[in-house]
Amino acid sequence: MLIFSVFKTLTDQRSTTHDFPDRFLNIRLDSIKVLDEARHPHMMAVKNCFIRGSVVRYVQLPAEHVDTQLLEDATRREAAAQVKR
Amino acid sequence: MRTRTLRANMDSSSTGIQEPFDLIRLSLSERVFVKLRGDRELTGVLHAYDGHMNLILSDVEETIMIVDQVEGVPEGHSTVNIAKRKMDMLFVRGDGVILVSPPSRT
Amino acid sequence: MDESTPPPPPAPPAEPSPPPPPPPVATSGSPTDFLKNVVGKKVVVRLTSGVDYRGILSCLDGYMNIALEQTEEHVNGRVTNRYGDAFIRGNNVLYISAAEAL
Repeated sequence: MLIFSVFKTLTDQRSTTHDFPDRFLNIRLDSIKVLDEARHPHMMAVKNCFIRGSVVRYVQLPAEHVDTQLLEDATRREAAAQVKR
Repeated sequence: MRTRTLRANMDSSSTGIQEPFDLIRLSLSERVFVKLRGDRELTGVLHAYDGHMNLILSDVEETIMIVDQVEGVPEGHSTVNIAKRKMDMLFVRGDGVILVSPPSRT
Repeated sequence: MDESTPPPPPAPPAEPSPPPPPPPVATSGSPTDFLKNVVGKKVVVRLTSGVDYRGILSCLDGYMNIALEQTEEHVNGRVTNRYGDAFIRGNNVLYISAAEAL
C-alpha cells in the first residue's frame, strides 16, 4: 500500500488514466523516450505502453520528488500496524 | 505463524529481533546490501519497504556479475566481468530480492 | 453427504497386523516444532539456487523469511561473503538444516 502511494504521488495528474499504477504495480508510460537507442531500437517508435508489474525489476524514481523522511515514517507506521494485526 | 523468541526480554547480546522484518525496520535510513536474482547486488540507503520486500533505496550502486563460462575451463576459473552503475533513487520490486544485510552494528 | 461413518473394511485374515512403528528418537515432532527448536542455533539455509548460508538463526516467520546472525555465504563449498546480520526472503529457501545438536 505504501509503495503504491509513492507511485501514485509520482504519477502525472494531467494523465487521463487514473487507474495506474494499480495494486499490482502495473505501469502505464506515456511520451516514452528511449535512453539507449543502440540496445532498444525496436522501442524507438513506441510512444506509450503498459508494463505488467510482475516483470519489473527496478523503477528509477525522481529523487527530488521523493521525501525520504516521510517515507521512513510511513514505513515505520505501516510496520507497526502489521504487528498489531 | 509468527515465531517469537524470548530474547527481547532477556537483554542478551542479541539486538532484540522478534521477527525477520525487524531486521529491515532497524535498517531504515541506513546503508544496506541487497542481493538480487540475476547475479545483481545493490548497496543503498533504505527509505521504505513493505511485506513483499519491495524496497526504495537512494544513492544506489548496482553491481552486475556477468560470468563468461568458457568451454573446457574448469568451474571456478571462468572469468567474471563486473559492471557497475549508480542511481539516485530506486524502487526495487520484492520478487527479485534474495537477501538483505544491514550494516554491521559492531 | 452421508453423515454415518461406514464400517471399517474387514482386515485380511492371512497377514498379522504389523507392530506399531517405534517412536522416533530425539527429533520428534512436526516441522513447526523443529523450527521452534532451531531458533538460536547454528543452521544451514540452502536456497533453491544451491547457495548455502551458515549462521545462527535469529528468527523466522510463516513465509520462511529468515533472519540470520554471523552469516557465511557458501558457494560450491567456498566462503564467498560474510554478513553480521542477514534477512533472507522466504521464497528462495529450499531447506533449513540444524548444524548443531538440538
